[in-house]
Amino acid sequence: MKILVALKRVADPDNANKVKIPPSGDRIDTAGLEWKPNPFDEYALEAALRLTEDGKAPKARAGEVVVVTFGPKETEQTLRAALATGADRAIRVDVTDDKLDGALVARALKALVEREKPDVVLMGKQAVDGDSNQVGQSLAELLDWPMATFAATIQEEQGALLVGREVDGGVAVLRVRLPAVVTVDLRIVAPTSVYSLKTARTHKYNDGVRFAALPAIMASKKKPLAEVKLADLTADSGLKVQYHGFEPPPARKAGIKVKDVADLVARLKNEAKVL
Amino acid sequence: MPPQNPLVDDRTVDFILFDVLDVGALLALPAFQEHTVEGVKIFLGATRRLSREVLYPAYKPMDEAPPRLVDGRVVVHPVMKELYPRLVELGLLNATRPAEVGGQQLPFTVMTLASVYPMAANLGAYGYLGLTAGAARLIESFGSAALKERFMAPMYEGAWTGTMALTEPQAGSSLSDVQCRATPAGDHYLIRGSKIFISGGDHDAVENIVHLALARIDGAPPGIKGVSLFAIPRLRPEGERLVPNDVHVAGVIHKIGWRGLPSLALNYGEQGDCHGYLVGEPHRGIHYMFQMMNEARLMVGMNGVATASVAYQESLEYARNRPQGRPLRSKDPRAPQVPIVAHEDVRRMLLRQKAIVEGGLLLLGVTARYADRAEHAEGAEARQRARWLQDLLTPIAKTFPAERGFEANALAVQVLGGYGYSSEYLPESWLRDQKLNSLHEGTTGIQGLDLLGRKVPAEGGAAMMAFLEEVGATVGSALEAGVPASWCARVEQAAGELRDVTLHLLGLGQQGDAEAMLRHSADYMEMMATVVVGWLWLWMAAAAEKGLRERPEDAALFEGKRCAAQYWIEGELGRVAHWAALCRSGEDSYARMQDAWF
Repeated sequence: MKILVALKRVADPDNANKVKIPPSGDRIDTAGLEWKPNPFDEYALEAALRLTEDGKAPKARAGEVVVVTFGPKETEQTLRAALATGADRAIRVDVTDDKLDGALVARALKALVEREKPDVVLMGKQAVDGDSNQVGQSLAELLDWPMATFAATIQEEQGALLVGREVDGGVAVLRVRLPAVVTVDLRIVAPTSVYSLKTARTHKYNDGVRFAALPAIMASKKKPLAEVKLADLTADSGLKVQYHGFEPPPARKAGIKVKDVADLVARLKNEAKVL
Repeated sequence: MPPQNPLVDDRTVDFILFDVLDVGALLALPAFQEHTVEGVKIFLGATRRLSREVLYPAYKPMDEAPPRLVDGRVVVHPVMKELYPRLVELGLLNATRPAEVGGQQLPFTVMTLASVYPMAANLGAYGYLGLTAGAARLIESFGSAALKERFMAPMYEGAWTGTMALTEPQAGSSLSDVQCRATPAGDHYLIRGSKIFISGGDHDAVENIVHLALARIDGAPPGIKGVSLFAIPRLRPEGERLVPNDVHVAGVIHKIGWRGLPSLALNYGEQGDCHGYLVGEPHRGIHYMFQMMNEARLMVGMNGVATASVAYQESLEYARNRPQGRPLRSKDPRAPQVPIVAHEDVRRMLLRQKAIVEGGLLLLGVTARYADRAEHAEGAEARQRARWLQDLLTPIAKTFPAERGFEANALAVQVLGGYGYSSEYLPESWLRDQKLNSLHEGTTGIQGLDLLGRKVPAEGGAAMMAFLEEVGATVGSALEAGVPASWCARVEQAAGELRDVTLHLLGLGQQGDAEAMLRHSADYMEMMATVVVGWLWLWMAAAAEKGLRERPEDAALFEGKRCAAQYWIEGELGRVAHWAALCRSGEDSYARMQDAWF
């Protein structure tokens, strides 16, 4: 199985330097930020690796995992780290964040999919910076492929994937014919969430994503990492989303103590308007 | 919910590796050409995540459920079965070893600064790996091809673990008194004797354990020159099978810290059937062990830094969130309470911890870089100079983090107040863990004697000369970088006091009065460690000045370094004169004191 994984880097919220907005309010100041892969995209990569191996030790791999990101030169470290955890090839589409929106990423990915011809496109359900939750759905529409979003489990079948989707009332299980687009949720990295045809159903993975081992980091230097121009993928680089201004969220207000239950209920009803 | 303890400050580790120690230049050496700065960053990233996401959550459960002796075998916390393969898988076991033994020849400097994370996360769990690396390394360096295949390979693969079985009840610091016996029996020896305080000496996390043990071959000369090194497996390979090798657990030591890692009394050869395999040549055991000792001591030093670091981070987060009291100038009792970090005296305790932890990080980093350069620098002269400096700094890099780290750990408890004295909070457990570091791999007393009695006088004081030159060079570059001239002068003055008192003590040694020379070796250690860390803080201050100009967005990082540098240089270096006076005067209270007078 050949899988294309779309991977975005996001500002690391644990870093001491936070996202700042200059007084002009016309942009986000990214100076001094540290970056990490969008967690949901990392989960997608982990799912892709599980789908292309047999779970044994030492594991046998079958198929190919190609990771793609959209970003400037320094995002290659994110790709190199993905190669070090097991991906086979990487592609960087050379562009900066402020020149992108979800629709443009989906258009460019469509062209890449037509070029690469994967059986599955996997990505996170959304990126934790913009929380837009658009690219997977838009891409499936453009490709006219089956789609499953918010996947919590994936089981490979002949020519299809059985996908468990987390919905409000429980888990809905869909069978999607390949090729397909699947976006993943966080439980996809639980020990028994993903099985390829070759992996025994008794196998349990470590909880969470795998980390880059030093020998694999060394080997990843020799794995191919290609650069592609955005213009080579789509002639239309126009943006559907225009940003008009940025402001930080209001600071949280201090809490108050209420007199009694009646006061609490009254305030919930009249002030918070939640009852 | 407060954020999870980060264990160690990532930006400080990056600052030390890339801005201060210039690892990029180290990677340019031919031995390290396979490595890149990008690869080092990915390795650090993976090590950080394993430490935070996998090792750290297991720390408290392991501390609360120490190893038990059940039917003659030691049962450790079951999570250890999961943790050990994860540590091995990351490549930590043989990262710095050459490709011939499956390693990646990573610079020791990088490994040292990466290892602080798993140590800070879970010292006991990392202990299994550190001991196994040391045991495998002994066979790699001195063992035959057959021993390498039989014992080193399964240890480096992570299938078996290893131990260092040196200590006996009557032979702790005094290894020349080892009594464990080895009787030749064809292709092996029959071993008989007892060992104590053997960390990782038995457990059920992996199938087999290999003890690298000191013993005397029958008829060997007395003292150090009669001690040999043996590999003694718990299960010995016979054909395709592993059979019991007459190694028995005599008891589990109930330790106050490092509770994830068993420490045991062991008996070899109760039934006369314990096979040991000679490593290297007969009677060379102590010599072999001492070649490993340098790295082992640096590992203990980093244990100390790591244990102080995780507690510092915990107390820092606590101080930022614990509201208590009002500013001194506030007269309004209805004003909201402020977080205790707003109180100057709390910041004093935090800044002292920071200065010790980060000074210790660079101390280990710079010593590891000398070790890398001693092996791989270009030119015999550069390698020799690096070896001198590595040897000189090693006892300090072992002792400073253990002793000042213990003080930092106590300050972390202090910051938490009454809560810190409760086992509901973690700082007390790190205080317990830390205490071991001044004891094992040579006590603080032995390190002081080693420093003043052996390392300083070696080669006519060449190492000390090289050290003073390094200080001079740092003073020059700090002045150029814009560090306050008064700080530079203060470091220079302290180094001068160290030089003068050293000359005085070496003079006593030359007159044959070793007792007078070494009487204040403990004070000498304190003095020199304080000067060394002053030198390192000056170095960091210089890098911070440069950083402030080039990366203003990271101003908070660099201002923090400046304040800690000022704290150490203006606050601590003043104590140097006090220790120097004691060393010089030869004050003799405890020398005169007699046993009966206590």
